[in-house]
Amino acid sequence: MQKKTAYSFPDEILEHVFSFIQSGKDRNAASVVCKSWYEIERWCRRKIFVGNCYAVSPTMVIRRFPDIRSIELKGKPHFADFNLVPDGWGGYVLPWISEMAGAYPWLEEIRLKRMVVTDESLELVAKSFTNLQVLVLFSCEGFSTDGLAAIAASCKNLTELDLRDSEVDDLSGHWLNHFPDTYTSLVSLNISCLGSDDVSFSALERLVGRCPNLRRLLLNREVPLDKIANLLSRAPQLIEFGTGTYAAELRSDVYSNLAEAFCNCKDLKCLSGFWDAVPAYLPVIYSVCSRLTSLNLSYAPIQNPDLTKLVSQCPSLQRMWVLDYIEDSGLEVLASSCKDLQELRVFPSDPFGEEPNVSLTEKGLVAVSSGCPKLHSVLYFCRQMSNEALVTIAQNCPNFTRFRLCLLDPKIADYRTLQPLDVGFGAIVEHCKDLRRLSLSGLLTDRVFEYIGMHAKKLEMLSVAFAGESDLALHHVLSGCESLRKLEIMNCPFGDKALLANAAKLETMRSLWMSSCSVSLGACKMLGQKMPRLNIEVMDEKGPPDSRAESDPVDKLYIYRSVAGPRFDMPPFVWTMDEDFASELS
Amino acid sequence: MCMELQLGLAPPGSDTWSRPLLKLGLYEDINVNSKKRGFDHGYLEDEFSAASFKNYEKGLVGWPPVKTWRRKKLRCQVHNHMTAAENGCCGGRASNSTYVKVKMEGVVIARKIDISIHQSFETLTTTLMTMFDIFDENRRSFKLTYQDKEGDWLIAEDVPWR
Repeated sequence: MQKKTAYSFPDEILEHVFSFIQSGKDRNAASVVCKSWYEIERWCRRKIFVGNCYAVSPTMVIRRFPDIRSIELKGKPHFADFNLVPDGWGGYVLPWISEMAGAYPWLEEIRLKRMVVTDESLELVAKSFTNLQVLVLFSCEGFSTDGLAAIAASCKNLTELDLRDSEVDDLSGHWLNHFPDTYTSLVSLNISCLGSDDVSFSALERLVGRCPNLRRLLLNREVPLDKIANLLSRAPQLIEFGTGTYAAELRSDVYSNLAEAFCNCKDLKCLSGFWDAVPAYLPVIYSVCSRLTSLNLSYAPIQNPDLTKLVSQCPSLQRMWVLDYIEDSGLEVLASSCKDLQELRVFPSDPFGEEPNVSLTEKGLVAVSSGCPKLHSVLYFCRQMSNEALVTIAQNCPNFTRFRLCLLDPKIADYRTLQPLDVGFGAIVEHCKDLRRLSLSGLLTDRVFEYIGMHAKKLEMLSVAFAGESDLALHHVLSGCESLRKLEIMNCPFGDKALLANAAKLETMRSLWMSSCSVSLGACKMLGQKMPRLNIEVMDEKGPPDSRAESDPVDKLYIYRSVAGPRFDMPPFVWTMDEDFASELS
Repeated sequence: MCMELQLGLAPPGSDTWSRPLLKLGLYEDINVNSKKRGFDHGYLEDEFSAASFKNYEKGLVGWPPVKTWRRKKLRCQVHNHMTAAENGCCGGRASNSTYVKVKMEGVVIARKIDISIHQSFETLTTTLMTMFDIFDENRRSFKLTYQDKEGDWLIAEDVPWR
C-alpha cells in the first residue's frame, strides 16, 4: 500500500486548485514542481499560448496537453510588418489545424498572429471544430472570403470573428450570407480590413439585426456613412464601434439620423474607423464623447481645430490613437483634458516626406507625459527629439511599460545639442523600472546600450535600428537584460563577437532578428554547431550562403529557440545552419 | 501634383529586390508642373514614391516602421485627397495625363506610351515588347509588375485593369 504523506493531496483537489491558475507562466512553474503535478497539470490545461509556431511542433503540444480548448499561435517575426520578411517565408497554420482537428474536437478558441492561413485551413477549421467560439486572425494572410464563408456556414457557436489587419482576397461579398438565419450568437465582429467587394451590406444589416448580443462591430471602409445610422439603430447595445468611410456630402437628414443613432448607443465606449473623415460629420459623435475610453482616429485626415475640439470633449479617454495632425497644440489639449489617458499612439501622416507637414515635435509628448499621470504606453512618430525632453518625459512617467519612439530620420541627433540621444533613452530605462518594451531611434552610440544593459531589467522586447557603433553594444544588451525575450535589430554594425560570446543567452529568449548587420556566415555556422536547441536561419535572396566566403555578412538572420528542431517548410531563400540538417540533405 | 504608377517587366521567380525592371511612370505634362525635372528624375515626381525610393537607395528599407497595412490605407487616402480624375489603383489619380514613361534597366533611352489606348494588360505588354524589341518567345520569361507609391513591387495582373 502506498503511503501518502501529509503533504500530498488527492489529484482532484490539486486539479481544482490548478483551475484557478490561468496564466501560462504560472502553470508552467507548477508543472515542474514534481512529476505528479506535471501530470495533473497537463491533463487539466485548457489554454495554450505558442509565441513562435516553430518553437514546438503540434505533435508535441498534443502529446503533452490532451485537452486544449483555446490556442494562440504566432508565426512571422515582428519585422514582417515592415516588409522585411519576404513572401513565402513560412508561418503556415495548416499543419497545426490538421493535427488539432483530430486531437482537439472541442476546441473553442483559435487566435493567430502573422500566420499564413489558407482557405483550406479555414475549411478544415469549419469542419473540425463545431464548438468554435472565437476566431481571431491578426495580421494574417493567404485566405479569401471563400474561407470565411466556410466558417460562417458551419460555426454555429461562433461569438467572435476578428480579422484585424489581415490581407484577405476579395472574391465575393456574399460570404456573410453564409451565416444561417438561425445564427444569432455574434458578439464581436471585426471586418475593418476587408476590401470593396467583400461585404454585402444587406447581409450585414440582417446579421446585425438578429444578433442581440453584438457588442463590438468594426466595419470596413466601404460601408458608406449614410448606412451607419440604420446599422446602429439595430445594435444600440454596442460597446465598440468602427465606422466605415466617414465622408459624405453634408445632408441634414443623414446628419440628424446619425446623431440620433449615436445618441441611442448608451454603452458605446470605443470608436474607430473614421476613414477619410471630414469635419462636417464629427459633431454627431459629441453625445458619446464624454463616455469614450478609446478613440482611434489614426485613419482620419482631420486636422486642427476640428481634431483638437473633438479631443477636448473626451475627458474619459484611456486610449488614444491619432495621426500627427493633432500637432503639439492638440496634444497639449489632450494633456489637460484627458487625465485618465494610459496609452497614446501618434502615427505619421506623411512618413516618407522630406519636409515636416505638421507641427508635431517632442513638445507634444512632453506635455502629455506631464499632464497624464496614468500614461504608461507610448508609440510616437516625430521628426525631432532632445535628450532634455526625454529626461523630462522619463521623470514625469516612471510607470512606462511600453515606450516606442520613431524618429522619421533614424539617425537624427538631439536637435538642440547635436549630441546622440543616449542620455535621453538612458533616462527612460533608468526611471521606468517596469519597462517591458522599448523601441529606439535617433543617433545612438554604444553608450545607450550600456544604460539599457544596466537598468532595463524587466525589458522583454527591444527594437533597434541604425544604432550603436560596435559589438559592445549588443553585448551590453545580451548580458544585462535579464528578462529579454525578443530582440530585433536592423542596420546596426553588430558582428560576431557579442553573438558568440552570449550564445547561451539566446536559448533564454524567444527570438533574435538581425538584418543588414555584420554577422558573418561563419559565425552563424558556428552557432548552428554549438547550439542544437536554437534554429539558426539565414535568409538571403541572392543565392545560397555556401556560394560565399565564411567571412561575408549574412543579409538576414533569425535565431529562435526550438524543441522541434529545424523546420521542414523553409522556402528556397532560407537556410538553416543546423549541422545535422544540412548534412542530411546533401 | 504628380502621380506615380510604375510598371516593371521582370523574369518570373526573380525576387523583389533585384529584378531587371521596366519602369513606367505616369507624369503630368511639364507645363502643369513648373519645376523642371531631369530625365532621370521624371519618374520620381510623386512625393510618396520619391521619398520612399530615396529611402530605399539610402538603405532604409523598413524605415520608418509603419505597418504595410497602415501604409496602404494612408496611400489611398492621399490619393483620395488629390482630386480623383479616373480610377487608379486605389480610386484616385491626380493627373489627367495618361502618358506613361517607360524605362528599361540597361537601356538609356526611355519611351513614352499612352496607357489610355490600351484596354488590357495583354495589349500593353505586347506594345511594350515591340517597343523594346523583346521577341515573342522571350515574352513568357518576363512578368509585368508595377511599383506603387512607396516602392513595393506588385504583380500588375493582380490588379484589375481599371
